[in-house]
Amino acid sequence: MSRTRNRRSRTTRAIAVTAAATALAVLTACGGGDGAAEGSADQPVTLTFWGWAKGTKDVVDAFNASHENIQVTFEEIPSGTAGGYAKISNAVKAGNAPDLVSIEYASLPEFVSSGALQDIGDEFTELDRGKLLPQAVELTTLGGKSWAVPFDAAPQAFYYRKDLFAKYRIDVPKTWDEFKTAAEKVKKADPEVRIATFFPDDPTTFEAMVWQAGAQWFKAEDDTWKIDTTDPDTTRVAAYWQGLLDADLVHKDASFTPEWTGSLKNGTTIGYLGASWGAGVLKGTLPEQSGKWAVAPMPHWGSPASGMLGGTSFAVTKDSKKKAAAVEFAEWMSTTEAGVKARIASGTSSAFPAATALRPVAKSSFDASYYGGQDIYALFEEAGASINGTWAWGPSTGTTNTTIKDQFGRLGKGGPSIADAVKAGHDATVAELTRRGLKVEG
Amino acid sequence: MNARTRAAATLLAPFFLLFTAVMVVPIGYAVWLSLFTEKQSGLGFGGAETVFSGLDNYTAALGDRAFREGFGVLLGYCLFYIPPLLAGALGLALLLDSALARARRFFQLALFLPHAVPGIIAALIWVYLYTPQLSPVVRAMEAGGVGFDFFSPSGALPSIVNIALWEWLGYNMVIFYAALQAVDRSVLEAATVDGAGAWRVAFSIKVPLIRASIVMVGLFTLIGSLQLFTEPLILEKGTGSAVTSTWTPNMYAYTAAFDRNDYGLAAAASVLLALTAALLSFAVTRLTGRGTRRTRTAARRAPATRTADGRTRRTRRKEKTA
Repeated sequence: MSRTRNRRSRTTRAIAVTAAATALAVLTACGGGDGAAEGSADQPVTLTFWGWAKGTKDVVDAFNASHENIQVTFEEIPSGTAGGYAKISNAVKAGNAPDLVSIEYASLPEFVSSGALQDIGDEFTELDRGKLLPQAVELTTLGGKSWAVPFDAAPQAFYYRKDLFAKYRIDVPKTWDEFKTAAEKVKKADPEVRIATFFPDDPTTFEAMVWQAGAQWFKAEDDTWKIDTTDPDTTRVAAYWQGLLDADLVHKDASFTPEWTGSLKNGTTIGYLGASWGAGVLKGTLPEQSGKWAVAPMPHWGSPASGMLGGTSFAVTKDSKKKAAAVEFAEWMSTTEAGVKARIASGTSSAFPAATALRPVAKSSFDASYYGGQDIYALFEEAGASINGTWAWGPSTGTTNTTIKDQFGRLGKGGPSIADAVKAGHDATVAELTRRGLKVEG
Repeated sequence: MNARTRAAATLLAPFFLLFTAVMVVPIGYAVWLSLFTEKQSGLGFGGAETVFSGLDNYTAALGDRAFREGFGVLLGYCLFYIPPLLAGALGLALLLDSALARARRFFQLALFLPHAVPGIIAALIWVYLYTPQLSPVVRAMEAGGVGFDFFSPSGALPSIVNIALWEWLGYNMVIFYAALQAVDRSVLEAATVDGAGAWRVAFSIKVPLIRASIVMVGLFTLIGSLQLFTEPLILEKGTGSAVTSTWTPNMYAYTAAFDRNDYGLAAAASVLLALTAALLSFAVTRLTGRGTRRTRTAARRAPATRTADGRTRRTRRKEKTA
């Protein structure tokens, strides 16, 4: 649910980006004077929190209603890569950052290495960490320190139009080979229709595929970053998708744009390779298609596996004097029944909590009638357990992903291939790390 | 200090205050930022420290192919955009100014209207019109057998030029039209009496008379073109188009600051872009300035054809009648 690219279209977010750029100087002042970390009913600690995930407002309201010592002010910002991260970095630089911010796993190392966050190890204890999915905890532990409270795990999932799959007599593909065959069948049945979409604007979807296949682009060994994007797994995934694109077996549309949703609406796209949070997005974007969708595990390369696509954590900014209260609130959102319930009951979120014990809560709070009553949380549960634990994100996700995205936009005749795009991302990453003075091999 | 100086100082103070606050200080800060960089060590999880790096950011920007290519894109943009803009705006203004035109006010307003739409909105509208599955335009083109992918690597530049033309054509047309309105009608009558046809009047009399406006519009457009940002950014963020995040130098600076967190590099890129703009405007004003001077001297030599300034002419005529 993280990265919740909600109903707001890409275009609206583009405005937000530009607005964020122009409003650079007018960031809301936050934090401010009330020093003590431990509040009381008379003098509650007031926290400021920036995020964009669906249902966050409901969570904050529920927290404020049930807590006297801490009161949270929530401000909704554009989603991370759509301008939210820029807003956070600028606020940190300007010294008026909120206490708590939402950061996806992929971007956490970059915020840590730019010095924007503080170590929360002393507040976020071993006991609390034990409640959460180990793979998620691993992604928030960098250089031996704990930097954020994981909120959700985002295992991959394949959403498809049950009715149209039946109409075209297509079996739900279990492996990527079957997926390709199914894609061919769909195209043959109706030359306008495709099984899914390749998102040229969103390298993270591709990276999740690579992650699923077993690749490990970033490895921190001793004091050195080892970057490897030419391993057999990455090569295989890149070649596979290049094949689908060359044979015109998938659409190529930007994610969450009117273009993409339009093709879902008129049934020319009948599947969506996404993640757990996508269940809520589809439900919110295409309410009229209720009952027509179903969820399947991501196709795999031989044995079930999953990458993670998105996934949010909560981190405390470096100048915040209210670390204890901020971590308490973050833990409440991530690890308490009330917190998870409030978010999912909002109806827009299908977050898959990183807190293992709370999944039944999430399941019972999510109205799955959109998926014909399918037990989608059981499916996420299995996918979540199969997330490859080897993947780590590098400290320059901004550079890596922007470069790959730029190349993805030019895929096609005369342009680069997917493999070229990955190589460009690799080179830009190595150059960036070298420039910052980090040790890097690759 | 006498009263006059005091008054002058009081009246000038707000300007200089604002000028300092919103121009001098930010520019100075950008230059200052451009001399520093953030360095980390090991894996980078120990945070960053800001160190003085001299001109490193400048060499990094200039050494980055993406940044240099941005200037290439600008060059292409200027070549494809400025000539049609000037020709189109001038052509429309001459048409409106000609005796043939009907419903002048309506066309003036209708042509100017696109400019009233903010650039972001204009770009969003056009993105919609460019998007294959949504656009009636693309559908009509495909039905007519003309397939064109506005988001492809070769289609991106024309797409942006088109948006800019749509936005600015009417605006510049109004400037030219206003200049044409100021042309002394008796000059035109005299030309007609001497046997000049409509074309001759338009190109040998009207256009030379509004040369100053043309130069001004050209200069402003050139400087504006260097700042190219909003439209390509919308195409970059809102679609899967071939417009990259470093497509123009301005976007390069934006991406460096907000996607890559490299404020030093962003500042250096901005300073380099500003210098280019300053040099270019200097060169353009110098070149055209010399041209104008030449015309003036020629005019002085032959007072009968002195037409560079309609107003002078009119006053002189008034004197005569007086």
